[in-house]
Amino acid sequence: MTTVIGVPAVRVRGLSHRYRGDGGPLLALAGVELEVGAGEFVALVGPSGCGKSTLLRVVAGLLEVSGGAVDVLAGSATAARAGHRVGLVTQEPGLLPWRTVAGNIALPLEVTGARADVDALLARVGIAAFARYHPHELSGGMRQRVALARALAHGPRLLLMDEPFGSLDEFAREAMGRELLRIWERDRVSVLFVTHSIREAVLLADRVLVMSAAPGRIVAELPVHLPRPRPRALDETPEFAALLHRVREALGGAP
Amino acid sequence: MSVLAGREAAGGAPEPGDLLEGTEWVAAPPSARSRARPAFGAALRIAAPPLLAAALALTLWEAWVRAFEVREYLVPAPSAVLRALAADPARYLGAARVTLAHALGGLAVGAGSAFLLAVVMAHSRPLERALYPLAILVKVTPVVAVAPLFLIWFGFNAWPKVLVAALITFFPMLVNAVTGLRSVEPAAFDFLRALDASRWQLFWKLRLPSSLPYVLAALRISVPLAVIGAVVAEWFAADTGVGQIIVIANGELDTPTLFAAVLVLALIGVTLTLAIAYIEHRVLFWHESSTGV
Repeated sequence: MTTVIGVPAVRVRGLSHRYRGDGGPLLALAGVELEVGAGEFVALVGPSGCGKSTLLRVVAGLLEVSGGAVDVLAGSATAARAGHRVGLVTQEPGLLPWRTVAGNIALPLEVTGARADVDALLARVGIAAFARYHPHELSGGMRQRVALARALAHGPRLLLMDEPFGSLDEFAREAMGRELLRIWERDRVSVLFVTHSIREAVLLADRVLVMSAAPGRIVAELPVHLPRPRPRALDETPEFAALLHRVREALGGAP
Repeated sequence: MSVLAGREAAGGAPEPGDLLEGTEWVAAPPSARSRARPAFGAALRIAAPPLLAAALALTLWEAWVRAFEVREYLVPAPSAVLRALAADPARYLGAARVTLAHALGGLAVGAGSAFLLAVVMAHSRPLERALYPLAILVKVTPVVAVAPLFLIWFGFNAWPKVLVAALITFFPMLVNAVTGLRSVEPAAFDFLRALDASRWQLFWKLRLPSSLPYVLAALRISVPLAVIGAVVAEWFAADTGVGQIIVIANGELDTPTLFAAVLVLALIGVTLTLAIAYIEHRVLFWHESSTGV
Protein backbone atom coordinates (compact mmCIF):
# COMPACT_ATOMS: atom_id res chain seq x y z
CA MET A 1 0.00 0.00 0.00
CA THR A 2 1.19 3.44 -0.89
CA THR A 3 1.32 5.63 2.15
CA VAL A 4 -0.48 8.85 1.53
CA ILE A 5 1.06 12.00 2.94
CA GLY A 6 -1.18 14.25 5.02
CA VAL A 7 -4.68 13.43 6.19
CA PRO A 8 -6.22 11.10 3.62
CA ALA A 9 -9.70 11.80 2.27
CA VAL A 10 -10.65 8.17 2.68
CA ARG A 11 -9.02 5.47 4.80
CA VAL A 12 -10.56 2.01 4.90
CA ARG A 13 -9.06 -0.68 7.11
CA GLY A 14 -10.06 -4.35 7.25
CA LEU A 15 -13.50 -3.65 5.91
CA SER A 16 -15.86 -6.57 5.55
CA HIS A 17 -19.52 -6.53 4.74
CA ARG A 18 -22.11 -9.24 4.79
CA TYR A 19 -25.50 -9.09 3.13
CA ARG A 20 -28.29 -11.09 4.69
CA GLY A 21 -29.45 -12.88 1.56
CA ASP A 22 -32.30 -15.36 1.25
CA GLY A 23 -29.83 -18.20 0.77
CA GLY A 24 -27.86 -17.31 3.91
CA PRO A 25 -25.45 -14.45 4.55
CA LEU A 26 -23.38 -13.33 1.60
CA LEU A 27 -19.88 -11.99 2.13
CA ALA A 28 -19.68 -8.99 -0.22
CA LEU A 29 -16.43 -7.47 1.03
CA ALA A 30 -13.60 -9.17 2.92
CA GLY A 31 -10.66 -7.27 4.38
CA VAL A 32 -10.66 -4.29 2.05
CA GLU A 33 -7.77 -1.87 2.59
CA LEU A 34 -7.99 1.41 0.77
CA GLU A 35 -6.72 4.96 0.91
CA VAL A 36 -7.51 8.05 -1.11
CA GLY A 37 -5.14 10.96 -0.49
CA ALA A 38 -6.25 14.56 -0.27
CA GLY A 39 -6.69 15.78 -3.84
CA GLU A 40 -6.00 12.37 -5.27
CA PHE A 41 -7.96 10.71 -8.09
CA VAL A 42 -8.32 7.01 -7.38
CA ALA A 43 -10.09 4.60 -9.70
CA LEU A 44 -11.54 1.31 -8.55
CA VAL A 45 -11.91 -1.37 -11.21
CA GLY A 46 -13.24 -4.88 -10.95
CA PRO A 47 -15.68 -7.34 -12.43
CA SER A 48 -19.37 -6.72 -11.86
CA GLY A 49 -20.56 -8.00 -8.52
CA CYS A 50 -17.18 -7.55 -6.84
CA GLY A 51 -18.58 -5.10 -4.31
CA LYS A 52 -17.26 -1.85 -5.82
CA SER A 53 -20.60 -0.14 -5.44
CA THR A 54 -21.06 -1.53 -1.93
CA LEU A 55 -17.69 -0.10 -0.98
CA LEU A 56 -18.66 3.29 -2.39
CA ARG A 57 -21.96 3.28 -0.52
CA VAL A 58 -20.10 2.53 2.69
CA VAL A 59 -17.79 5.52 2.13
CA ALA A 60 -20.83 7.69 1.29
CA GLY A 61 -22.29 6.76 4.67
CA LEU A 62 -25.31 5.10 3.05
CA LEU A 63 -24.52 1.63 4.36
CA GLU A 64 -23.54 0.40 7.83
CA VAL A 65 -20.66 -2.04 7.62
CA SER A 66 -20.37 -5.38 9.37
CA GLY A 67 -16.74 -4.94 10.33
CA GLY A 68 -13.66 -2.77 9.90
CA ALA A 69 -12.83 0.90 10.15
CA VAL A 70 -13.83 3.60 7.69
CA ASP A 71 -12.49 7.14 8.00
CA VAL A 72 -13.78 9.79 5.65
CA LEU A 73 -12.18 13.26 5.78
CA ALA A 74 -10.72 12.54 9.22
CA GLY A 75 -13.99 11.41 10.77
CA SER A 76 -16.59 8.73 10.37
CA ALA A 77 -18.46 8.25 7.11
CA THR A 78 -21.64 9.34 8.89
CA ALA A 79 -19.98 12.52 10.14
CA ALA A 80 -18.72 13.35 6.64
CA ARG A 81 -22.24 12.83 5.34
CA ALA A 82 -23.77 14.96 8.08
CA GLY A 83 -21.18 17.68 7.38
CA HIS A 84 -22.18 17.72 3.70
CA ARG A 85 -18.59 17.13 2.66
CA VAL A 86 -19.29 14.39 0.15
CA GLY A 87 -20.77 14.59 -3.36
CA LEU A 88 -22.26 11.59 -5.13
CA VAL A 89 -22.60 10.83 -8.83
CA THR A 90 -24.16 7.53 -9.86
CA GLN A 91 -24.73 5.76 -13.17
CA GLU A 92 -28.34 6.83 -13.25
CA PRO A 93 -28.14 10.61 -12.86
CA GLY A 94 -31.16 10.66 -10.53
CA LEU A 95 -32.20 14.17 -11.51
CA LEU A 96 -35.60 15.44 -10.45
CA PRO A 97 -37.57 15.48 -13.70
CA TRP A 98 -39.97 18.20 -12.54
CA ARG A 99 -37.13 20.63 -11.89
CA THR A 100 -35.18 22.57 -14.47
CA VAL A 101 -31.44 22.05 -14.83
CA ALA A 102 -30.85 25.11 -12.62
CA GLY A 103 -33.43 23.81 -10.13
CA ASN A 104 -31.68 20.46 -9.94
CA ILE A 105 -28.34 22.12 -9.24
CA ALA A 106 -29.98 24.25 -6.56
CA LEU A 107 -31.29 21.12 -4.82
CA PRO A 108 -28.15 20.36 -2.74
CA LEU A 109 -27.98 24.05 -1.78
CA GLU A 110 -31.55 23.91 -0.48
CA VAL A 111 -30.85 20.74 1.46
CA THR A 112 -27.52 21.74 2.97
CA GLY A 113 -28.07 25.48 3.29
CA ALA A 114 -24.83 26.08 1.42
CA ARG A 115 -24.55 29.03 -0.95
CA ALA A 116 -23.19 28.87 -4.46
CA ASP A 117 -23.62 30.61 -7.78
CA VAL A 118 -25.76 28.22 -9.82
CA ASP A 119 -24.97 30.02 -13.07
CA ALA A 120 -21.25 29.69 -12.42
CA LEU A 121 -21.66 25.97 -11.72
CA LEU A 122 -23.58 25.55 -14.96
CA ALA A 123 -20.87 27.35 -16.87
CA ARG A 124 -18.21 25.21 -15.22
CA VAL A 125 -19.66 22.02 -16.69
CA GLY A 126 -20.51 23.69 -20.00
CA ILE A 127 -24.30 23.74 -19.80
CA ALA A 128 -24.98 27.41 -19.06
CA ALA A 129 -27.34 27.66 -22.02
CA PHE A 130 -29.52 24.83 -20.72
CA ALA A 131 -30.36 26.30 -17.31
CA ARG A 132 -34.10 26.42 -17.94
CA TYR A 133 -34.49 23.08 -19.67
CA HIS A 134 -35.88 19.99 -18.04
CA PRO A 135 -33.94 16.71 -17.82
CA HIS A 136 -36.19 14.91 -20.30
CA GLU A 137 -35.18 17.45 -22.92
CA LEU A 138 -31.46 16.63 -22.58
CA SER A 139 -29.22 13.87 -23.91
CA GLY A 140 -27.64 11.31 -21.57
CA GLY A 141 -24.29 13.11 -21.58
CA MET A 142 -25.96 16.41 -20.75
CA ARG A 143 -27.82 14.85 -17.86
CA GLN A 144 -24.55 13.54 -16.43
CA ARG A 145 -23.07 17.04 -16.69
CA VAL A 146 -26.01 18.28 -14.64
CA ALA A 147 -25.46 15.45 -12.15
CA LEU A 148 -21.78 16.42 -11.89
CA ALA A 149 -22.57 20.10 -11.34
CA ARG A 150 -25.16 19.10 -8.75
CA ALA A 151 -22.67 16.90 -6.90
CA LEU A 152 -20.17 19.78 -6.77
CA ALA A 153 -22.69 22.50 -5.90
CA HIS A 154 -22.36 22.42 -2.12
CA GLY A 155 -18.56 22.37 -2.27
CA PRO A 156 -17.73 18.79 -1.21
CA ARG A 157 -14.15 17.78 -0.43
CA LEU A 158 -14.68 14.24 -1.69
CA LEU A 159 -16.41 13.20 -4.88
CA LEU A 160 -17.72 9.64 -5.02
CA MET A 161 -18.53 8.43 -8.50
CA ASP A 162 -20.18 5.09 -9.19
CA GLU A 163 -19.80 4.23 -12.89
CA PRO A 164 -20.96 7.76 -13.70
CA PHE A 165 -20.47 7.40 -17.44
CA GLY A 166 -21.50 3.75 -17.60
CA SER A 167 -24.70 4.30 -19.56
CA LEU A 168 -23.21 6.77 -22.06
CA ASP A 169 -22.07 5.96 -25.56
CA GLU A 170 -18.36 5.89 -26.38
CA PHE A 171 -18.17 9.50 -27.61
CA ALA A 172 -20.03 11.01 -24.70
CA ARG A 173 -18.04 8.86 -22.32
CA GLU A 174 -14.68 10.15 -23.59
CA ALA A 175 -15.87 13.74 -23.63
CA MET A 176 -17.23 13.46 -20.10
CA GLY A 177 -13.96 11.95 -18.88
CA ARG A 178 -12.01 14.89 -20.26
CA GLU A 179 -14.57 17.29 -18.84
CA LEU A 180 -14.24 15.69 -15.43
CA LEU A 181 -10.44 15.97 -15.51
CA ARG A 182 -10.63 19.62 -16.55
CA ILE A 183 -12.88 20.41 -13.59
CA TRP A 184 -10.86 18.24 -11.22
CA GLU A 185 -7.53 19.79 -12.21
CA ARG A 186 -8.83 23.16 -11.12
CA ASP A 187 -10.34 22.19 -7.76
CA ARG A 188 -8.44 19.03 -6.87
CA VAL A 189 -11.20 17.56 -4.80
CA SER A 190 -10.44 13.97 -3.84
CA VAL A 191 -12.14 11.49 -6.14
CA LEU A 192 -13.01 7.84 -5.69
CA PHE A 193 -14.13 6.65 -9.10
CA VAL A 194 -15.72 3.24 -9.56
CA THR A 195 -15.72 1.87 -13.10
CA HIS A 196 -15.65 -1.39 -15.00
CA SER A 197 -13.71 0.21 -17.83
CA ILE A 198 -9.97 -0.37 -17.51
CA ARG A 199 -9.29 2.28 -20.17
CA GLU A 200 -11.30 4.86 -18.29
CA ALA A 201 -9.55 4.05 -15.02
CA VAL A 202 -6.05 4.45 -16.48
CA LEU A 203 -7.01 7.53 -18.47
CA LEU A 204 -8.37 9.40 -15.46
CA ALA A 205 -6.73 8.24 -12.24
CA ASP A 206 -3.55 8.82 -10.30
CA ARG A 207 -3.84 5.32 -8.96
CA VAL A 208 -5.85 2.29 -10.04
CA LEU A 209 -7.06 -0.23 -7.49
CA VAL A 210 -8.07 -3.63 -8.81
CA MET A 211 -10.77 -5.58 -7.02
CA SER A 212 -11.58 -9.26 -7.16
CA ALA A 213 -15.01 -10.76 -6.82
CA ALA A 214 -16.70 -13.01 -4.26
CA PRO A 215 -15.72 -11.86 -1.72
CA GLY A 216 -14.58 -8.42 -2.87
CA ARG A 217 -11.13 -7.30 -1.91
CA ILE A 218 -8.33 -5.26 -3.43
CA VAL A 219 -5.81 -7.48 -5.19
CA ALA A 220 -3.59 -4.94 -6.91
CA GLU A 221 -2.64 -1.31 -6.81
CA LEU A 222 -1.11 0.42 -9.81
CA PRO A 223 0.19 4.00 -9.69
CA VAL A 224 -0.40 5.78 -12.98
CA HIS A 225 2.64 7.93 -13.76
CA LEU A 226 1.26 9.70 -16.78
CA PRO A 227 1.54 13.45 -17.37
CA ARG A 228 -1.17 15.85 -16.25
CA PRO A 229 -3.10 17.42 -17.77
CA ARG A 230 -3.53 14.21 -19.69
CA PRO A 231 -2.64 14.76 -23.35
CA ARG A 232 -5.23 14.02 -25.99
CA ALA A 233 -3.49 11.12 -27.72
CA LEU A 234 -2.46 9.53 -24.45
CA ASP A 235 -4.24 6.27 -25.21
CA GLU A 236 -1.97 5.75 -28.26
CA THR A 237 1.26 5.80 -26.25
CA PRO A 238 3.15 2.64 -25.28
CA GLU A 239 3.12 3.73 -21.60
CA PHE A 240 -0.65 3.74 -21.64
CA ALA A 241 -0.78 0.36 -23.36
CA ALA A 242 1.64 -1.08 -20.78
CA LEU A 243 -0.52 0.16 -17.89
CA LEU A 244 -3.64 -1.21 -19.51
CA HIS A 245 -1.89 -4.54 -19.84
CA ARG A 246 -0.86 -4.57 -16.19
CA VAL A 247 -4.39 -3.82 -14.97
CA ARG A 248 -5.74 -6.60 -17.20
CA GLU A 249 -3.19 -9.00 -15.81
CA ALA A 250 -4.12 -8.06 -12.25
CA LEU A 251 -7.77 -8.63 -13.04
CA GLY A 252 -7.05 -11.93 -14.74
CA GLY A 253 -4.78 -13.06 -11.94
CA ALA A 254 -7.45 -12.41 -9.35
CA PRO A 255 -8.55 -15.71 -7.87
CA MET B 1 -42.93 24.79 -6.31
CA SER B 2 -41.31 24.23 -9.67
CA VAL B 3 -43.86 21.52 -10.44
CA LEU B 4 -46.34 24.24 -11.04
CA ALA B 5 -44.00 26.37 -13.08
CA GLY B 6 -45.53 25.06 -16.26
CA ARG B 7 -44.16 24.53 -19.68
CA GLU B 8 -43.49 28.12 -20.58
CA ALA B 9 -40.25 28.10 -18.66
CA ALA B 10 -38.86 25.35 -20.86
CA GLY B 11 -39.26 27.48 -23.94
CA GLY B 12 -38.83 24.95 -26.67
CA ALA B 13 -38.05 21.33 -27.23
CA PRO B 14 -34.33 21.05 -27.71
CA GLU B 15 -32.56 18.05 -29.05
CA PRO B 16 -29.03 18.53 -27.81
CA GLY B 17 -26.89 16.23 -29.84
CA ASP B 18 -24.02 14.16 -28.63
CA LEU B 19 -21.23 15.88 -26.84
CA LEU B 20 -18.81 17.43 -29.21
CA GLU B 21 -15.08 17.26 -29.00
CA GLY B 22 -13.23 19.89 -27.04
CA THR B 23 -12.86 20.35 -23.35
CA GLU B 24 -13.97 23.96 -23.19
CA TRP B 25 -16.89 23.43 -25.46
CA VAL B 26 -19.96 25.19 -24.22
CA ALA B 27 -23.19 23.78 -25.47
CA ALA B 28 -25.67 26.12 -27.07
CA PRO B 29 -29.30 25.13 -27.23
CA PRO B 30 -30.69 24.62 -30.70
CA SER B 31 -33.14 27.17 -31.97
CA ALA B 32 -36.27 26.66 -30.00
CA ARG B 33 -39.11 25.17 -31.94
CA SER B 34 -42.28 26.59 -30.52
CA ARG B 35 -44.22 24.00 -28.59
CA ALA B 36 -47.57 25.14 -29.95
CA ARG B 37 -50.50 24.84 -27.61
CA PRO B 38 -53.43 22.99 -29.04
CA ALA B 39 -55.17 25.80 -30.90
CA PHE B 40 -58.91 26.18 -31.32
CA GLY B 41 -58.75 24.40 -34.67
CA ALA B 42 -56.94 21.43 -33.15
CA ALA B 43 -59.46 21.25 -30.32
CA LEU B 44 -62.24 21.24 -32.87
CA ARG B 45 -60.58 18.39 -34.78
CA ILE B 46 -60.44 16.34 -31.56
CA ALA B 47 -63.98 17.18 -30.48
CA ALA B 48 -65.70 16.92 -33.88
CA PRO B 49 -65.88 13.10 -34.36
CA PRO B 50 -67.51 12.29 -30.99
CA LEU B 51 -69.87 15.26 -31.34
CA LEU B 52 -70.90 14.11 -34.80
CA ALA B 53 -71.43 10.57 -33.55
CA ALA B 54 -73.60 11.85 -30.69
CA ALA B 55 -75.64 14.03 -33.04
CA LEU B 56 -76.21 11.06 -35.34
CA ALA B 57 -77.26 8.81 -32.45
CA LEU B 58 -79.69 11.45 -31.13
CA THR B 59 -81.22 11.93 -34.57
CA LEU B 60 -81.74 8.18 -35.02
CA TRP B 61 -83.21 7.95 -31.51
CA GLU B 62 -85.64 10.79 -32.18
CA ALA B 63 -86.64 9.25 -35.52
CA TRP B 64 -87.14 5.83 -33.94
CA VAL B 65 -89.37 7.15 -31.14
CA ARG B 66 -91.49 9.17 -33.60
CA ALA B 67 -91.76 6.49 -36.26
CA PHE B 68 -92.78 3.70 -33.90
CA GLU B 69 -94.65 5.91 -31.44
CA VAL B 70 -92.70 4.58 -28.51
CA ARG B 71 -94.44 5.44 -25.26
CA GLU B 72 -92.85 8.31 -23.40
CA TYR B 73 -92.71 6.57 -20.03
CA LEU B 74 -90.63 3.80 -21.64
CA VAL B 75 -88.23 5.79 -23.80
CA PRO B 76 -88.75 9.52 -24.26
CA ALA B 77 -87.48 11.22 -27.40
CA PRO B 78 -84.44 13.52 -27.01
CA SER B 79 -86.76 16.43 -27.73
CA ALA B 80 -88.96 15.40 -24.78
CA VAL B 81 -85.90 15.29 -22.53
CA LEU B 82 -84.93 18.75 -23.71
CA ARG B 83 -88.45 19.99 -23.02
CA ALA B 84 -88.21 18.62 -19.49
CA LEU B 85 -84.92 20.45 -19.01
CA ALA B 86 -86.25 23.67 -20.49
CA ALA B 87 -89.42 23.52 -18.35
CA ASP B 88 -87.48 24.25 -15.17
CA PRO B 89 -83.78 24.88 -15.81
CA ALA B 90 -83.31 26.46 -12.37
CA ARG B 91 -84.34 23.20 -10.71
CA TYR B 92 -81.70 21.18 -12.58
CA LEU B 93 -79.04 23.82 -12.16
CA GLY B 94 -79.70 24.06 -8.42
CA ALA B 95 -79.69 20.28 -8.03
CA ALA B 96 -76.51 19.98 -10.10
CA ARG B 97 -74.81 22.55 -7.89
CA VAL B 98 -75.81 20.66 -4.74
CA THR B 99 -74.69 17.27 -6.13
CA LEU B 100 -71.43 18.77 -7.35
CA ALA B 101 -70.79 20.21 -3.89
CA HIS B 102 -71.51 16.82 -2.28
CA ALA B 103 -69.23 15.01 -4.73
CA LEU B 104 -66.38 17.49 -4.40
CA GLY B 105 -66.77 17.64 -0.63
CA GLY B 106 -66.65 13.86 -0.51
CA LEU B 107 -63.62 13.82 -2.78
CA ALA B 108 -61.84 16.32 -0.54
CA VAL B 109 -62.63 14.38 2.64
CA GLY B 110 -62.11 10.88 1.21
CA ALA B 111 -59.11 11.43 -1.05
CA GLY B 112 -57.61 13.91 1.41
CA SER B 113 -57.74 11.57 4.39
CA ALA B 114 -56.58 8.66 2.20
CA PHE B 115 -53.55 10.68 1.11
CA LEU B 116 -52.64 11.56 4.69
CA LEU B 117 -52.96 7.91 5.69
CA ALA B 118 -50.87 6.95 2.65
CA VAL B 119 -48.09 9.27 3.86
CA VAL B 120 -48.04 7.40 7.18
CA MET B 121 -48.20 3.99 5.51
CA ALA B 122 -45.49 4.82 2.97
CA HIS B 123 -43.10 5.57 5.84
CA SER B 124 -43.82 2.49 7.93
CA ARG B 125 -44.24 -1.09 6.72
CA PRO B 126 -45.68 -2.28 10.07
CA LEU B 127 -48.34 0.44 9.97
CA GLU B 128 -49.06 -0.42 6.37
CA ARG B 129 -49.59 -4.07 7.32
CA ALA B 130 -51.80 -3.06 10.25
CA LEU B 131 -54.00 -0.65 8.32
CA TYR B 132 -54.23 -2.25 4.92
CA PRO B 133 -56.83 -4.90 5.86
CA LEU B 134 -59.05 -2.15 7.29
CA ALA B 135 -58.72 -0.21 4.07
CA ILE B 136 -59.77 -3.29 2.11
CA LEU B 137 -62.76 -3.65 4.41
CA VAL B 138 -63.78 -0.12 3.48
CA LYS B 139 -63.28 -0.97 -0.16
CA VAL B 140 -65.44 -4.11 -0.27
CA THR B 141 -68.33 -2.56 1.68
CA PRO B 142 -71.04 -1.59 -0.84
CA VAL B 143 -71.92 2.09 -0.42
CA VAL B 144 -75.56 1.27 -1.13
CA ALA B 145 -75.58 -0.64 2.14
CA VAL B 146 -73.89 2.13 4.10
CA ALA B 147 -75.87 5.08 2.77
CA PRO B 148 -79.05 4.44 4.83
CA LEU B 149 -76.93 3.96 7.93
CA PHE B 150 -75.18 7.29 7.42
CA LEU B 151 -78.60 8.88 6.98
CA ILE B 152 -79.68 7.57 10.39
CA TRP B 153 -76.45 8.71 12.02
CA PHE B 154 -76.06 12.15 10.48
CA GLY B 155 -79.59 13.13 9.53
CA PHE B 156 -80.99 15.07 6.60
CA ASN B 157 -78.11 17.35 5.82
CA ALA B 158 -75.00 17.37 3.62
CA TRP B 159 -72.98 14.98 5.80
CA PRO B 160 -74.39 11.60 4.71
CA LYS B 161 -73.85 12.56 1.05
CA VAL B 162 -70.34 13.88 1.60
CA LEU B 163 -69.36 10.86 3.67
CA VAL B 164 -70.70 8.29 1.22
CA ALA B 165 -68.80 10.05 -1.57
CA ALA B 166 -65.76 10.14 0.71
CA LEU B 167 -66.01 6.43 1.46
CA ILE B 168 -66.11 5.47 -2.19
CA THR B 169 -63.10 7.62 -3.13
CA PHE B 170 -60.97 6.58 -0.17
CA PHE B 171 -59.48 3.33 -1.41
CA PRO B 172 -58.35 4.30 -4.93
CA MET B 173 -56.45 7.26 -3.49
CA LEU B 174 -54.94 5.22 -0.67
CA VAL B 175 -53.40 2.46 -2.83
CA ASN B 176 -52.25 4.85 -5.52
CA ALA B 177 -50.74 7.34 -3.11
CA VAL B 178 -48.84 4.63 -1.18
CA THR B 179 -47.45 3.31 -4.46
CA GLY B 180 -46.66 6.83 -5.65
CA LEU B 181 -44.93 7.89 -2.45
CA ARG B 182 -42.76 4.78 -2.69
CA SER B 183 -41.98 5.26 -6.36
CA VAL B 184 -38.95 7.48 -5.78
CA GLU B 185 -36.00 6.97 -8.09
CA PRO B 186 -33.26 5.18 -6.13
CA ALA B 187 -30.46 7.35 -7.56
CA ALA B 188 -32.24 10.56 -6.53
CA PHE B 189 -32.96 9.07 -3.12
CA ASP B 190 -29.30 8.09 -2.60
CA PHE B 191 -28.12 11.51 -3.71
CA LEU B 192 -30.31 13.24 -1.15
CA ARG B 193 -29.41 10.76 1.58
CA ALA B 194 -25.71 11.27 0.90
CA LEU B 195 -26.40 14.95 1.67
CA ASP B 196 -27.97 13.90 4.96
CA ALA B 197 -31.38 15.19 3.88
CA SER B 198 -33.99 14.95 6.62
CA ARG B 199 -37.16 12.87 6.28
CA TRP B 200 -39.03 16.10 5.90
CA GLN B 201 -36.80 17.25 3.05
CA LEU B 202 -37.00 13.84 1.39
CA PHE B 203 -40.78 14.05 1.59
CA TRP B 204 -41.20 17.56 0.19
CA LYS B 205 -38.48 17.52 -2.40
CA LEU B 206 -38.71 13.92 -3.61
CA ARG B 207 -41.58 11.75 -2.39
CA LEU B 208 -44.44 14.19 -2.80
CA PRO B 209 -43.61 15.29 -6.37
CA SER B 210 -42.82 11.67 -7.32
CA SER B 211 -46.27 10.62 -6.14
CA LEU B 212 -48.14 13.19 -8.26
CA PRO B 213 -48.65 11.00 -11.36
CA TYR B 214 -50.23 8.35 -9.13
CA VAL B 215 -52.27 10.83 -7.09
CA LEU B 216 -53.69 12.45 -10.21
CA ALA B 217 -54.48 9.04 -11.72
CA ALA B 218 -56.33 8.22 -8.50
CA LEU B 219 -58.28 11.48 -8.77
CA ARG B 220 -59.25 10.61 -12.32
CA ILE B 221 -60.67 7.29 -11.05
CA SER B 222 -62.28 8.89 -7.99
CA VAL B 223 -64.15 11.76 -9.62
CA PRO B 224 -66.92 9.65 -11.22
CA LEU B 225 -67.05 7.50 -8.10
CA ALA B 226 -67.63 10.58 -5.94
CA VAL B 227 -70.59 11.57 -8.12
CA ILE B 228 -72.02 8.04 -7.75
CA GLY B 229 -71.61 8.20 -3.97
CA ALA B 230 -73.26 11.61 -3.73
CA VAL B 231 -76.23 10.57 -5.85
CA VAL B 232 -76.75 7.28 -3.99
CA ALA B 233 -76.91 9.15 -0.68
CA GLU B 234 -79.19 11.85 -2.11
CA TRP B 235 -81.42 9.11 -3.45
CA PHE B 236 -81.83 7.59 0.00
CA ALA B 237 -82.42 10.92 1.71
CA ALA B 238 -84.53 12.27 -1.15
CA ASP B 239 -84.16 15.79 0.19
CA THR B 240 -81.75 17.54 -2.20
CA GLY B 241 -79.68 17.21 -5.34
CA VAL B 242 -80.01 15.31 -8.56
CA GLY B 243 -80.65 12.15 -6.54
CA GLN B 244 -83.87 13.70 -5.24
CA ILE B 245 -85.04 14.57 -8.76
CA ILE B 246 -84.48 10.93 -9.74
CA VAL B 247 -86.50 9.58 -6.81
CA ILE B 248 -89.44 11.93 -7.44
CA ALA B 249 -89.45 11.41 -11.21
CA ASN B 250 -89.25 7.67 -10.71
CA GLY B 251 -92.29 7.71 -8.42
CA GLU B 252 -94.29 9.66 -11.00
CA LEU B 253 -93.10 7.57 -13.96
CA ASP B 254 -91.82 10.88 -15.36
CA THR B 255 -89.22 9.31 -17.63
CA PRO B 256 -88.22 12.49 -19.53
CA THR B 257 -87.23 14.10 -16.21
CA LEU B 258 -85.37 10.93 -15.27
CA PHE B 259 -83.40 11.17 -18.48
CA ALA B 260 -82.78 14.86 -17.90
CA ALA B 261 -81.36 14.05 -14.45
CA VAL B 262 -79.09 11.40 -15.94
CA LEU B 263 -77.91 13.90 -18.54
CA VAL B 264 -77.10 16.40 -15.79
CA LEU B 265 -75.05 13.76 -13.96
CA ALA B 266 -73.19 12.85 -17.14
CA LEU B 267 -72.33 16.51 -17.70
CA ILE B 268 -71.02 16.83 -14.13
CA GLY B 269 -68.87 13.73 -14.63
CA VAL B 270 -67.47 14.93 -17.96
CA THR B 271 -66.70 18.40 -16.61
CA LEU B 272 -64.84 17.04 -13.58
CA THR B 273 -62.91 14.51 -15.66
CA LEU B 274 -61.85 17.22 -18.11
CA ALA B 275 -60.75 19.41 -15.21
CA ILE B 276 -58.55 16.61 -13.84
CA ALA B 277 -57.12 15.93 -17.30
CA TYR B 278 -56.24 19.62 -17.60
CA ILE B 279 -54.52 19.64 -14.19
CA GLU B 280 -52.61 16.49 -15.14
CA HIS B 281 -51.46 18.11 -18.35
CA ARG B 282 -50.25 21.21 -16.52
CA VAL B 283 -48.62 19.57 -13.53
CA LEU B 284 -47.14 16.43 -15.09
CA PHE B 285 -45.36 18.02 -18.04
CA TRP B 286 -42.22 16.21 -16.90
CA HIS B 287 -43.75 12.76 -16.64
CA GLU B 288 -43.45 10.16 -19.39
CA SER B 289 -47.23 10.12 -19.73
CA SER B 290 -46.87 13.66 -21.08
CA THR B 291 -43.50 13.53 -22.80
CA GLY B 292 -44.47 10.49 -24.82
CA VAL B 293 -41.32 8.53 -24.06
